[in-house]
Amino acid sequence: MKEGFRQSMSWLHTWAGLIFGWLLFAIFLTGTLSYFKEEINHWAKPEVPVRSLDTAASLALAQGYLQVHASGSPRWFINVPDAREPVLRVGWQDPGKPGRAGFMRKNLDPQTGAEVQARESRGGDFFYRFHFELQMGYPWGRWLSSIAAMVMFVGLISGIIVHKKLFKEFFTFRPGKGQRSWLDGHNALGVLVLPFHLMITYSSLVIFMTMVMPASIVSAYGDNTQALFKEMFPARDTPAPAGQPAPLVSLPSLYAQFEREQPGARLGRVEVLQAGDVNARVVMSRHNGDQVSTAVGAARTFDGVSGKRLDSGTATAPMVQASGTFYGLHMGQFAGPWLRWGYFLFGLGGTAIIGTGLIMWLGKRQLKHAKSGVQPMELRLVEVLNIASMAGLLLAIVSFLWANRLLPSTLLGRSDWEINSFFLMWGLALVHAALRPGRKAWAEQLAAGAILYALLPVLNGLTTDRGLWRSIPRGDWAMAGVDLTALATGLVLAWSLHRLHLKTRQPARRTLRTARTAEPIGTVLEGDAR
Amino acid sequence: MLAAVALSFSGFTALCLSMEKHYIELLKHKPSAARRRVLRWGGWALLLLSSWVAVKNAGWAMGLVHVTAVYMMTAVVLVWMLPYQPRLALILAALGLLVGPLNLSGLF
Repeated sequence: MKEGFRQSMSWLHTWAGLIFGWLLFAIFLTGTLSYFKEEINHWAKPEVPVRSLDTAASLALAQGYLQVHASGSPRWFINVPDAREPVLRVGWQDPGKPGRAGFMRKNLDPQTGAEVQARESRGGDFFYRFHFELQMGYPWGRWLSSIAAMVMFVGLISGIIVHKKLFKEFFTFRPGKGQRSWLDGHNALGVLVLPFHLMITYSSLVIFMTMVMPASIVSAYGDNTQALFKEMFPARDTPAPAGQPAPLVSLPSLYAQFEREQPGARLGRVEVLQAGDVNARVVMSRHNGDQVSTAVGAARTFDGVSGKRLDSGTATAPMVQASGTFYGLHMGQFAGPWLRWGYFLFGLGGTAIIGTGLIMWLGKRQLKHAKSGVQPMELRLVEVLNIASMAGLLLAIVSFLWANRLLPSTLLGRSDWEINSFFLMWGLALVHAALRPGRKAWAEQLAAGAILYALLPVLNGLTTDRGLWRSIPRGDWAMAGVDLTALATGLVLAWSLHRLHLKTRQPARRTLRTARTAEPIGTVLEGDAR
Repeated sequence: MLAAVALSFSGFTALCLSMEKHYIELLKHKPSAARRRVLRWGGWALLLLSSWVAVKNAGWAMGLVHVTAVYMMTAVVLVWMLPYQPRLALILAALGLLVGPLNLSGLF
């Protein structure tokens, strides 16, 4: 009975992992990039100047700009610059045009208050949105990624059950032994970084809980899901505009009050409702990076005319605290530089687990056909999808970044063309993988990736005045970090290309050795092969 | 933070050495049962101490997040080093035993 259970778990792990592996690889990799969303945004708009941070001055400039350009608007948003993304962003609802079409956004220079004419680009937001919406319309992408997250959860749990020697092989990694090493790497990354994987997967389900876990919500709140939302996002009882004009309180003075009441707190976003009316309200939210939990309630509401504090920052419900904590842990907004790199590396670890799993699935089955030299159709299909989903995605990402630097800034629908170049490259990689023999396709795509990533800093230096030799002396680490990470990625790809060549040069010996060492792993994952 | 990292690395190395297979691999002789017990308890104690340092430095919420990240990172680095640089791993673990307490006592 026990063996039977483990066998069925092994089957589940193998096949769920295969079917969703390609999608999960893309979700994990783009999600990992999103930990540096702000930095990629900054990289994607090199026109935005880097100034020293002065929140009060930024607020004054934003207020001045909005009073001229957005008077009569029911809603203003101001995002003050921070070290990761040094741009002053303002947005407002055009009173004439309700809905999304009427929402205006502008980037301002935090020193002069002038509009910054930056190239049109989605930047890091593209990877972030793709990570959970998969470029599909609402709500299909969210559904698909939620299902993928559930499969990931199933994969983790079944993986732990299948992995017999979790503690005995806790410290085991044996490189240079073909399939054995892939499994060791898969297991080591899976077990050692398990807390991260469980957190990231479970929290993604919490984020979409009204979609994926309605039962517990219904049992606690009844049919009235509005009650849940009310508890999660306590309504600000904003009175209707009185139609009686009154000057808006000075935002820098409110910020001084905000700082006095919460010493050490950073300001994140300011929302101004009905500016210029006697019933105006100002809501100041703390910077997301200040605490683990993203639970609301840290926001302070002020009367927009007198500047009086209106609420006391009420305590949040336990459910809200819990979901806010998971949300915060998933997003990692609170992470300082070290922890942020940790998030990034653990995310790459998760991506690597999925990748090694896909490679092992194929490698094991290819061994069985190694002698005859003929590959069945379905293995060839998996091979093509493996190459396109891994090497191809890396190419797609870098071509987005190349397009950002190469497309003329006057091009109509420029930011859409950046996204198109991402998908065009991905499609090309799929066609290429289908046309070329497996190993050659891997080698050629890795080589192309190595070149494109390694040369990205050069391209940046040639097309902007923000090359590494300028950004590093200026201390613009967000800009330099993207360049340096691209360079490192290029080197890693070149190294894996080198490894692949070593393997190809002595294929006969290698196959023999893997065939021999593959035997013992068979006992762990054999159930599925038959 | 340095103390938490150093203690965690040494702790995982001690736990690794408390397993006969790894002990023989790394130190080329068979450990006594008593030594393995010392290594096991010592390893757990170091990990616990590491989490205490993190929580003391950053409070419960951030501290627990920090120490989980430190555990994961040091364990991955250790497991990756063992086949390639086993001696360096042992030297670093010994250094960790020194750096951890020194950093804690505020010497550097």
